[in-house]
Amino acid sequence: MPSLSTRHKIELIAVGVIALFFIVIFPLLNAHGMVSNFTINLWGKYLCYALLAISVDLLWGYTGLLSLGQALFFSLGGYMMGMYLMRMIGDLGQYKKPIPDFLVFLGWSDLPAFWVPFASFPFAAAMVLLLPGLLALVFGFLAFRSRVKGVYFSILTQALTYGASLMFFRNDMLMGGNNGFTDFKFILGHDLRDAVTQRGLFIATAVVLLMVYVALRLLSYTKFGLVQKAIRDGENRVLFSGYATAHFKLFIFIVAALIAAVGGALYVPQVGIINPSEMTPDKSLEAVVWCAVGGRATLVGPIIGAISVNALKSWASRAAPDYWLVILGGMFVIVVLLLPGGIVSIPSRLKALWARFKKKPAEAEPPKATPPPSEPAVTTATTPSA
Amino acid sequence: MRLLLVLLTLWLTTVAPISAASPRSTLVDAMRAENDARKIELISSLAGEGDEAIQPLLIAWREDALYFYESSDGPLLPVQLIGEKDDNDARAALRVDTGAPLVDAAGVPIRLVAGDLAGVEHNSALRRAMKGVLDLIEVASPDPKKRIQAIQTIGFAQDLDKLPAFKKRLAVEPDPRVRRTLREAIAVTQLKDPDDAPKFEALEELKSLHSLSSYDLIRTAMREAEAAGSTKVASEAKAVLVAIDNHKSTVNFYGTIFRGLSLGSILLIVAIGLAITFGLMGVINMAHGEMIAVGAYTTYLVENIFGTGITIPFFGLSLSIPGLNSTGAFYQTYFIFALPLSFLAAAAVGIGLERSIIRFLYRRPLESLLATWGVSLLLQQGLKLMFGSNNVQVSSPSYLSGNWTINDIIFGWNRVFVIGFAGLIVFGVWLILTKTPLGLLIRSVMQNRNMASCMGVRTERVNMLTFGLGSGLAGLAGAFISQIGNVGPSLGQNYIVDCFMTVVVGGVGNLAGTVYSAIGIGLVDQSLQQILLNPVLGKILVLVAIILFLQWRPAGLFVTRSRNLED
Repeated sequence: MPSLSTRHKIELIAVGVIALFFIVIFPLLNAHGMVSNFTINLWGKYLCYALLAISVDLLWGYTGLLSLGQALFFSLGGYMMGMYLMRMIGDLGQYKKPIPDFLVFLGWSDLPAFWVPFASFPFAAAMVLLLPGLLALVFGFLAFRSRVKGVYFSILTQALTYGASLMFFRNDMLMGGNNGFTDFKFILGHDLRDAVTQRGLFIATAVVLLMVYVALRLLSYTKFGLVQKAIRDGENRVLFSGYATAHFKLFIFIVAALIAAVGGALYVPQVGIINPSEMTPDKSLEAVVWCAVGGRATLVGPIIGAISVNALKSWASRAAPDYWLVILGGMFVIVVLLLPGGIVSIPSRLKALWARFKKKPAEAEPPKATPPPSEPAVTTATTPSA
Repeated sequence: MRLLLVLLTLWLTTVAPISAASPRSTLVDAMRAENDARKIELISSLAGEGDEAIQPLLIAWREDALYFYESSDGPLLPVQLIGEKDDNDARAALRVDTGAPLVDAAGVPIRLVAGDLAGVEHNSALRRAMKGVLDLIEVASPDPKKRIQAIQTIGFAQDLDKLPAFKKRLAVEPDPRVRRTLREAIAVTQLKDPDDAPKFEALEELKSLHSLSSYDLIRTAMREAEAAGSTKVASEAKAVLVAIDNHKSTVNFYGTIFRGLSLGSILLIVAIGLAITFGLMGVINMAHGEMIAVGAYTTYLVENIFGTGITIPFFGLSLSIPGLNSTGAFYQTYFIFALPLSFLAAAAVGIGLERSIIRFLYRRPLESLLATWGVSLLLQQGLKLMFGSNNVQVSSPSYLSGNWTINDIIFGWNRVFVIGFAGLIVFGVWLILTKTPLGLLIRSVMQNRNMASCMGVRTERVNMLTFGLGSGLAGLAGAFISQIGNVGPSLGQNYIVDCFMTVVVGGVGNLAGTVYSAIGIGLVDQSLQQILLNPVLGKILVLVAIILFLQWRPAGLFVTRSRNLED
């Protein structure tokens, strides 16, 4: 492992402090009534989105694969958890039957076979990882084997997501159709509406996010992480150096799918609903916006982006509901055109501006050696010279 | 109300000259006849006659509005009392035999009091006969569509009593489609005949007509024949069913091909613009769908300007646009004007987009995907704020809203038109790209932007025009889409995935590939729908098939050969 640069040390300390705040202090404040239950629920949602954004970043920022299928993996994870939560409702539904309400509505009297094992939490938790992982394995294998890359990969993942959402919209899929799952009551024997349960879920989300962050940070120091970035910057060169890039990409694709799925699984009990509209390609693109706004190819960027864009969304959908899409779209255009490094690149940009400003009076002097560019990785990656 | 209508028709008939008095005199004879049998015979003889006087008179009879007037000379004269009662309770009277007002010798209209007269009697047997005649009135209606409908309704009730009237009508019926329906109705009714010979004859007739609609009735007849033990009829019925089944699958087959072609043409029209912006220029324009919506809304505006004008929300300003209030043929031409305007509107939006955003992103395809998606959100919301968030309906001109039915296969005019127009557009694009100076420049820039620039081509300008062309074609597509379904701000979202799929399957950078893939996807989609009877499942399978197809041919149907490693 290479020795840590000052920048990384600062980042690690900052992350440690923030993690401590979210995992310990924030819930404590909530327990003592200084932070409302609504706020903690809202931030729990943001952290789930952060997981989704970090999975997008792992693919797009670090490997150069713009996947528009992350929302699919996110909602698949959510659906698996949702199936467990639906089973936990028991006979407390509207129809007072031991099977989920929508099945009663569709005329079922017994549980369909594939619903039966979901009463067990370990099984549901395993499925949260297995199903998206398997889908990512099959799709990724096919896509990377035939060397689908660049925008074609985006378009194919978009089609996959679109097809899946069409499928989940159907009632005879027996997954709740249009309305999806809602009206959850219990998780692991705890009442979901209890503040304690929600606090526990929040802490769990924060811990998972921290673990994902640390794992990915460690990964980025390894040789694997280097190959990953090399694939992003020049796949053919990596290929010609003797690396089976398809295997690397497949592995990353599966890991990203798993992260998104876990995010979805934590999202559903906190938000209390999952339906196919979470699965559309647009949701994937929205996650890409979070990542781009925060700063791609960094690990804190997507987290900052997910939280800030969603906080903005919460505010805008109350203050100016008609203009939220305008803000989102405009933000996207501006970030892509003017701020490719996202929010996290603002300090270094300001520093560069300041340096240029200071240098100006000295310009009459004979030229010195040109200073090294501040953000070499990002700028060269996004604009390969042709 | 009904009576009023009847009176109105009567009044109208009295004004109009009466050409043939024979149905009227038949009715008068029936009223005067001594016994019921004769009456029924006379009334029933009117079945299948198209005379306008029959229906109101029979209804009047049934509803006790006819009376016998005893003139001083001659026989009893049936009259109908109409109009308001005057102070003496008397009303105006019309002669049933001529429909003219009843007058005395001096020509002065006679007013009669209902209570003084004997009513024209009727009983249940007579009423049944009248109903039989009334049912068949529509069969002789002047409107062929009404005739067909009436014949079908009556024929499929399989009432043997109606047979003579049908046969009578068949002898005089001029319209070939009505004749066909009549033959079908006669044959279907004959299936109820107690004897085997007419049944057999009917089956033969139905076989030669390939009658799809009588399938169930033939099956019933087959079961009855089996139960009755007449094997000859039963086996013939079975043969007819097989023949109809074959015909049905032929109809479905050609129908599916036609629908597949038309869906393929729609895909082609919406995707050909993308084939230029994405395929040739390499720009991932996620706002392509919104260009389609811009075209569709332009058509909507033009339609309303030709009509009565419209008020749109327009960012909360409630903008009123006056209309030309045109009607008839001129109004119908609105679509012809809408086509170029849709093209221009979308092209203008496209050029604006290219100048402001896309030109900075030519070397960064992934970024252009993201930025144009942002633009697509902006445009969607913009359209919502301009035109309201509800879907709007664009009424099709009459020449796009009809169909031909050839041998039971339905060819909708709008679909035929779409197929034809897709051909025209492809031809036009081919002409532009290969036969014009602009096309030469476009191709040179697309092949090698730097080299073209070195040779003095103004690549910036060519980029702008090419993008404008691609966007304009999307606008044209929007004009057509508006004829097929509703127009809404998120209209483009329904097509964007299909568009990209079509271009990717066809092979990027190749217009011919787009044509083949659009028609191929259209045909596969419709065939799957025909087989699975489930449109959504069919669509999902098509997406899966496309993903698998790209395994086999990652670069699509037609590969543009290049020695560049990165291509």
